[in-house]
Amino acid sequence: MTETITTALFYIFAASAVLLAFALVLTRRILRAAVWLMGVLFCSAAFYVLLGAEFLAGIQVLVYIGGIVVLLVFAIMLTSSFELLDDHPSALRRILGILTAGGFFAVTALALLSTKFPVKAYHGEAISDVEKIGKSLLNYGPGGYVLPFEVISVLLLAALIGGIVVARKVLVKDPEAKS
Amino acid sequence: MNELMTLTPGLYHWLLLTLLLFSVGLYGLLTRRNAVGVLLSTELMLNSAALNFVIFNRYMAPGFVDGSIMAIFIIAVAAAEVVVAMAIFVALLKLKKTADVTLMNELRG
Amino acid sequence: MRNAWLVPGIPFFSFLIVGLFIRPLSEKAAGWVATAALFVSAFFAYSIAWDYFSHFGIGHEGPALVPWAFEWLRYQDHLTATIGTLIDPISILLMVVVTTVSALVHLYSIGYMAGDDGYGRYFTFLNLFSFSMLGLVVAPNIVQMFVCWELVGVSSFLLIGYYYRKPSAVAAGKKAFIVTRFADLGFLIGILILGYFGIEAFPHIGAKIQQEMAGLSSIPIQAIDFAFINHPATAHYILTTAGTVLGLSTLAVACILIFMGCAGKSAMFPLHIWLPDAMEGPTPVSALIHAATMVVAGVYLVARLFPSFAAAGTPLDVVAFIGTFTCAFAAIIACTQDDIKRVLAFSTLSQLGYMMLALGVATAVSPLGHTASMFHLFTHAFFKALLFLAAGALIHGVHSNEIWDMGGLRKKLPVTHLTFLAATLAIAGVPPLSGFFSKDEILRAAVENHHPIVFGVALFVAGLTAFYMFRIYFISFWGDARSEKAEHAHEAPAVMLIPLIALALLAIFAGFVPMGEYLGTSHGGHHGIHWNIAIPATLAGLIGIALSAFMYTGTRERYVAVARALGGMYTVVKNKFYVDEVYLFVTKNIIFHYIARPIAWFDRHIVDGAINLYAWLTGALGRGLKPLQTGQVQTYSAWWISGAVFFIILLWMKLS
Repeated sequence: MTETITTALFYIFAASAVLLAFALVLTRRILRAAVWLMGVLFCSAAFYVLLGAEFLAGIQVLVYIGGIVVLLVFAIMLTSSFELLDDHPSALRRILGILTAGGFFAVTALALLSTKFPVKAYHGEAISDVEKIGKSLLNYGPGGYVLPFEVISVLLLAALIGGIVVARKVLVKDPEAKS
Repeated sequence: MNELMTLTPGLYHWLLLTLLLFSVGLYGLLTRRNAVGVLLSTELMLNSAALNFVIFNRYMAPGFVDGSIMAIFIIAVAAAEVVVAMAIFVALLKLKKTADVTLMNELRG
Repeated sequence: MRNAWLVPGIPFFSFLIVGLFIRPLSEKAAGWVATAALFVSAFFAYSIAWDYFSHFGIGHEGPALVPWAFEWLRYQDHLTATIGTLIDPISILLMVVVTTVSALVHLYSIGYMAGDDGYGRYFTFLNLFSFSMLGLVVAPNIVQMFVCWELVGVSSFLLIGYYYRKPSAVAAGKKAFIVTRFADLGFLIGILILGYFGIEAFPHIGAKIQQEMAGLSSIPIQAIDFAFINHPATAHYILTTAGTVLGLSTLAVACILIFMGCAGKSAMFPLHIWLPDAMEGPTPVSALIHAATMVVAGVYLVARLFPSFAAAGTPLDVVAFIGTFTCAFAAIIACTQDDIKRVLAFSTLSQLGYMMLALGVATAVSPLGHTASMFHLFTHAFFKALLFLAAGALIHGVHSNEIWDMGGLRKKLPVTHLTFLAATLAIAGVPPLSGFFSKDEILRAAVENHHPIVFGVALFVAGLTAFYMFRIYFISFWGDARSEKAEHAHEAPAVMLIPLIALALLAIFAGFVPMGEYLGTSHGGHHGIHWNIAIPATLAGLIGIALSAFMYTGTRERYVAVARALGGMYTVVKNKFYVDEVYLFVTKNIIFHYIARPIAWFDRHIVDGAINLYAWLTGALGRGLKPLQTGQVQTYSAWWISGAVFFIILLWMKLS
């Protein structure tokens, strides 16, 4: 019974994720696109739950949807101009995009389906055990992630500072004014 | 191919799903004229990549948490990326009065 | 003897140091350092000569040692070009001559070139030349010989064109370089032939020769070493296995091709045309390079390869013929020239012809000519260098090359006069000066090996030599001053006179060196004076002197009458038999017109056209692809991903 429900949920969320993704790339309004992205990310959170990674699902909702996408929406609205509200790619671009993305999909799908993955039996192990994740992240022995963890910390700090510096008013000078 | 025949979602179902999401994101990346739109498509692609890590973790290494950790890293990097990208867009908007990437062709030299 | 490498080594390092560091600092110091280097080098040459002859003794043929060598270019086993020093009697002879003359010329140049632009450059080149020449002399293999051969060629080119603001000097430099390069083509082909058959013969005879050479050479023998090439077994192998070309044996062809290079370097007819023009260089350069040392490199190479030449036979006849012809030809032209340096240049040609004909009449069983040739090389280097340096002192005093601008200089330049007279007597073969002994040996070689025609021509040229040498002597030193400049002529400074006096002593006494004893190739022959040859030779010389004295010490009418009596013949000789004009005609009207011009057309239209077509195609392709370069990252990534997909598909199809 549980399996049937999981299967049903998978298909429901998969379908909505794909539909939302298409809407995301096809819509002309950029703010709507941001909302559709939020939907896709929410579906992804559901996928995490289905895959048994509840902790990740939480992070996804909190950080991605709550933090990143909201930041995007804010940025869009703060810098709003009419241009930003309309996006209409040319036909040539679309054809090129369809061919490239379609070709990529076809080739990768073929590669995937012709590969035999060594799938292991699943006995309900938690794959996002918070305790394990925490210990791994701070483990500096073999298989530990303390160095990438620190590097990511530095990266976030650098991005923070970089964002401020780049968006500062002083830097932005009109090149036309100079010449 | 046999794995896809069953209705129950298996590794291949998941992988095809994320691949589809990724390809749609790729299409968006290539066609969007708006810089923010491009960024949104990138987020979509990053998300499907993170999903892939968890999928492989779940099916091929149950009992380990490395895939999840990678997903966390990806989310962190995505956050950093969005911050910097938005800052660049704000600067570009002020500088060029546009966010249309088709008009940004300085690489032509 | 292990420090034999110092003899060429010191001028080499001096060349680098003077050229790179001293010259920019002080031109004057450059001259003195360069000169000191050559004196040190000369000292080492003497000490090697002393060691060698006191160790091996004289009176028999000394061994050829290679006390110092290193591997330079390794082509394959037994075919390695080494850089080393070969010590045998003739290389010692040449080392002594080259270092002595070079050191004295350096010293002389300090005075002669004083105040000249490019004083330091001059000494740098002179050192380069000395190094190259000594490297050539001590070459133990034919590749080092060739490399140094080209190096002396290039330093000669640099020094002829020393006054590079003068178009005639530039042209003369180019002419010398091109003519000798053209001749070197033959030399190079000859080397390739010898090297090819040498390496083919090596497996059969190499071990045997190696055994014979044990203890003499510091490194294993190679197929291009002179010791290998000159070995009778090698000559035998090539003669018996290599077949014939145009009726000549392959060995003979190789030797004749090598002789072509020698003829170019030693300015034998018909490749002599560059030497008279080379007199455009500074006079000490003419003395050193174009009289005493570089031009005898050709003679030296023939002497070095003498066993091969003798084994092949025919090449020696070619050498004798060309030598004899050049000897007479140049002497006749020398009688009519008015530029003192040109007369000396033609005299050099004639004397080089002597050396060549002496080599040509020698044979393996009776190599007296070989000794005679080396002996004449030895004495000629001194008296000819002296003649040039004395002429340089004259030019220095009078500021003109024309003998008709001089006259009456006997009183004004007493030291120059006496030294010039000594050298003139020496070259005229008056006993007991050096030229007499060496010329005597050459004439005897011609007689003993039954070459009556060669002997006759050589005897005639001996008289002619005396005639034209005394012609310039009488015109420039006797009579009255013929120009304003000659009135105010002054003696050269002491730094120039010392080399003159030193060379004059050598020119007078060098003949008493028992050369046969040292070279040890005369096989017990008598080395004294042969009255049956000495008396006619001396008489020929005296007749020449007397005729010259009669014509040029009296009134002007005498020689004008003679010239008029000879008429057209005089004009032909005066214009050097129009050889230069023939060359010009052949190159300009035939080669340029019928060969070079079609090739130029082909190059301009077909070759360049093809290149331009490619360029146009590339440009068109670029113009066609230009729209793809949108400057947008999105388009680029689209192409990039499509490309990757395309190649994955391609790879897939290939693999499955």
